[in-house]
Amino acid sequence: MKKKLVSMLLCTTMVATLLVGCGSKTEEAAPAAEATEEAAPAEEAASAEEAEAAGYEGEISIMHFSTSEESEGNGGSDGFRTMIAEWKNENKTVDLKENVLANDEYKTQIATLAAAGDLPDVFLLQGMNTKAWAEQGLVMDMSDAIKNSPYAADYKEGFFTPFKDADGKIYALPALTGGTCTAVVYDKQMWKDAGYETFPTTWDDVLAAKEKFAADSIDTIAFGNGGKWQANSCYMSTLGNLYTGKEWFESIINKGGAKFTDEAFVNALTFSQEAFASGVFNADFNAITNEDAREYYIAGDAAAFIGGNWDVSYIMATLLADDEEKYNNIGFATLPNPADATAATNSQNIGMGYGVAINSKVAEDPAKLAAAINLAYKLTGADFSNFVAENYALSGLTAVADVDLSAFDQITQDFYNFSYVDTNPCEIYDSYVNGAVWDVFNTGLQNMLNGDEEPAKLAADTQAAYEANY
Amino acid sequence: MLKSIKPKGRTIFLYLCIPVIWYVFSVFIPLITAMFYSLFEWKGGPNKSFIGITNYVALIKDSVFWISFSHNIYLVLLCIVGQVGIAFVFVLMINSRLVKLKGIHRTFGFFPSTVSAVSIGFIWMMIYDYKRGILNWFLTITGNSESVKVWLNEPSLVMLLVSIPLVWQFIGYYMVILLSAISSVDNEIFEVAELDGANAFQRAIYIVLPLIKNTILVCITLCVAGNMKAFDHIYTMTEGGPGTSSMVMAMYGYKISFAQMNMGYGSAISVGIFVLSLLVIGGMQKFLNILMKDKGVA
Repeated sequence: MKKKLVSMLLCTTMVATLLVGCGSKTEEAAPAAEATEEAAPAEEAASAEEAEAAGYEGEISIMHFSTSEESEGNGGSDGFRTMIAEWKNENKTVDLKENVLANDEYKTQIATLAAAGDLPDVFLLQGMNTKAWAEQGLVMDMSDAIKNSPYAADYKEGFFTPFKDADGKIYALPALTGGTCTAVVYDKQMWKDAGYETFPTTWDDVLAAKEKFAADSIDTIAFGNGGKWQANSCYMSTLGNLYTGKEWFESIINKGGAKFTDEAFVNALTFSQEAFASGVFNADFNAITNEDAREYYIAGDAAAFIGGNWDVSYIMATLLADDEEKYNNIGFATLPNPADATAATNSQNIGMGYGVAINSKVAEDPAKLAAAINLAYKLTGADFSNFVAENYALSGLTAVADVDLSAFDQITQDFYNFSYVDTNPCEIYDSYVNGAVWDVFNTGLQNMLNGDEEPAKLAADTQAAYEANY
Repeated sequence: MLKSIKPKGRTIFLYLCIPVIWYVFSVFIPLITAMFYSLFEWKGGPNKSFIGITNYVALIKDSVFWISFSHNIYLVLLCIVGQVGIAFVFVLMINSRLVKLKGIHRTFGFFPSTVSAVSIGFIWMMIYDYKRGILNWFLTITGNSESVKVWLNEPSLVMLLVSIPLVWQFIGYYMVILLSAISSVDNEIFEVAELDGANAFQRAIYIVLPLIKNTILVCITLCVAGNMKAFDHIYTMTEGGPGTSSMVMAMYGYKISFAQMNMGYGSAISVGIFVLSLLVIGGMQKFLNILMKDKGVA
């Protein structure tokens, strides 16, 4: 009898837990809708209070992707983690629950949580998700918080663009470091031996250099597009700008009439197809990732490499540890201009792809909201910018008055100047528009670079996805 | 069973409730909700709008989905021959009197199926690697350097190349199932057949096959079901590329749902995968029954 009772009890508990677990999801969905309506007044109250974290006692959940592994050598991640640790120390009454995932897993998980209307209180919002998530009422409008920020005067306005909606409301404070996504890293000695003092500024010279490198079975430029996004973020976005100029992409963002089928953009695609067929790049560019391609450069199998700031930090750290001579030969350059690309020169795409955003539900509790805003200020404010400037010669959202570069070696200084001083910045395509468009574009781009798809067809498919989804 | 220790019907029922409820919540409810969500335009988040069967109409016209389906069918056919077929041959070989150290063969044969799919994917990526891969190295030293290729970037070959690791991994799995089926058959039958002068091939087709017919059917069903939802190996190796040359249905559903954030259409794809898998599995079983009847296997 006793046994039966116990088993009955266990069973009922289990069913009950399952039902409760299921029920709570549906319950949560309802307040989410209310929260959006309430968001506006609550937020005014919060900004009026000057967003003091003190006074809030409770839990704040935060999700981000600055893992401890990632933070080794990566200035942005290191700074982000350091700021979180400092903030925890300064606000002992708040129980900050961190959920840290690697970037790839983070993107999937945050998308799932957004779909379920169950986002954490504070999280990193990707530029291209801003409009869709704002429309759904998932993220809080932070325009007032930004206006009232103690660092408002020092914010670099341009970085906010990916986080704005059509009405100009801003939904996130750009986080981590502003870094280039398209840098040509080259070995000065190898190019000198081939007869070039610096990396060529025209594509024809690159083609000529290829002949010399090929004779020694060295790839001229290493590139990896195995993940499909690299050719978009770390190549097309800058090369496209050389052909179309900035206005074209601004018009794409604002639906101002520009089309992916416009002649200039199709020309950029056509050139890319020829460039990747010319043998300048490693033959396996579509089968390996950027992580593999940069190893070709490090091993001396390629004379140059194209990648983002994260690849540059890795190359610099690895060479500094293993091969100081090769480290000192690192040079940085922008993509050389093809002969028919005349809309821009000396371009590189730079921006801040993620911003600290706050779940709109947090606005229900003004004290909690104030603490969350205070955390967002800390993660993107002067402390962070000073930290990354002093330790890594990198730059964040908040401008730092006098960056003293003298403490850094020549290569680090060169990269700082390449990223922030000597080049013309342009936008990172996939910080804008949305995943539905870029997934179609990236998949077709991989085919096109293989020579299996016509540039015009890729342009038309992308345009169709753009019209249907954006 | 002794009456005194036989549990009451109600107790059995309650204990069985646990797995049944678990199953209902992890399989049945998601299926129903996917069917429900597939009727909406839902780009993630709380707002959805009802659009009826529009997603299904789009699915029927979606060429990428049907290309992915054809890749799944290719995978299924290759794996039935490769996994179950080769496993059957191996089982006959291991069972033969000539083979020594049967335990070792069994263990090593089964070993790959215990390795995670992602590791298998990485191992085979290293084999296929253009510059440092063992395949191109072998071709070069044997004087076939003109056949050296960027293997995973060949649209016409990539499906075959990503299938090979799948076949390799699961041969051992089906081997173990078939071995246990054969070991339950009385050994005398095989001995008598041998005395009667049946050769190895005849014994395999006319004696072993009919006796383990039901197990083979189970293996083929498992193989079809497994390959209709193939995802992890291919995701690790190519992410469906180049372009959509190695895209399979599950990966397409994932891409639509999470890369394109189109949950409504993604749900419609999941339902599509479910329906097509049922059809393929059902069709396969019918077909095999007919085939076995023709062979005189009843």
